[in-house]
Amino acid sequence: MKQTKQLKILMPTLREKERYIAFQVISEEQITYSDLEAAVWNTMLDFFGEYGTSKTSLWLVKNLYDENEQIGVIRCNNKSVQEVLAILSLISRLGDIRVTFKILKISGTIKGLKI
Amino acid sequence: MSFYDFHIHSAFSEGESSLEQLASTAKHLGYKGICFAEYYKNDAQMKKLKIEIEKIKDKIGIEIFLGFEARDLKELETLRQKRRQFDILLAHGGDLKMNRIAVETPEVDILTHPEMDRQDSGLNHVLVKLAAKNNVAIEINFREIIISSKKTRSKVLENMQKNIKLCKKLKAPIILCSGAISHWELRDPKTLVSFVSQLGLELKEAENCLSKIPENISKQSKERRSEKWIMPGVKVIR
Repeated sequence: MKQTKQLKILMPTLREKERYIAFQVISEEQITYSDLEAAVWNTMLDFFGEYGTSKTSLWLVKNLYDENEQIGVIRCNNKSVQEVLAILSLISRLGDIRVTFKILKISGTIKGLKI
Repeated sequence: MSFYDFHIHSAFSEGESSLEQLASTAKHLGYKGICFAEYYKNDAQMKKLKIEIEKIKDKIGIEIFLGFEARDLKELETLRQKRRQFDILLAHGGDLKMNRIAVETPEVDILTHPEMDRQDSGLNHVLVKLAAKNNVAIEINFREIIISSKKTRSKVLENMQKNIKLCKKLKAPIILCSGAISHWELRDPKTLVSFVSQLGLELKEAENCLSKIPENISKQSKERRSEKWIMPGVKVIR
């Protein structure tokens, strides 16, 4: 059955605190959003497993990914920033394309990233 | 905070990328200094490397150190005698005898990948105590993690965690290096620090592995190369 009514928004004290990590992909060729998303999720699941990944609230923000500039934003909760940064270091290839990541900024809001 | 990567191979030894490519990528990623750890061939190669490094230093604006990685005991002895001619001396670990000699030699700055190609971690409390006494930094080589996967990676990580635990307990310096042989293998220092913080180090300690400890090694190296220095613990004051 289709859900018509949305849940009531949680109180600020009960909400999960988020962190947004802005990064730049340095690669031999241009990387698409779908390739990047698959690589991030697969590496996360391989390294931390399903249980570990569930604790990070990981999300790659689609509408903030700039394919020309190769700049993107990952969202996670405030307790998992180190885990997410760690998996970015483990991604060395996307298919045959060699990549490395540069961390631009970490902020609590998208506005704070100013990218 | 200034970050350093002290184990990078260029096309001069087993690497794929040129000195310039490596230095410019490192600068872009936010490193303050890097060290090219090459394999020693002869004095002419050392001279050529020094000239190249001087050129790139000014062009790119990054601190560059010249290091040599000794692959066996014979090479270690040769490099020990030429110690004043370059900045950093690394010893290629993995072999138990090499690990032992490296931590016993005060001229050695870094023991690289002590657990390489081994079932055990390559270090025990005796060796780590010696490393602490002689101020030889134990390396965590990130390339070993990148090139392995699944079962092999978990074994490498297990050995690294054992070494970290020992070094923390016995207060031996730990250094974190990319071990890159190509500029694509260089990593953002923040991501490296985060990775090592997953292996049993506090965030502050992990940051020190990439900033404070390499900084101390470079200071020590500068002191060692000055004319006043005679031998470990002895230098001319006036």
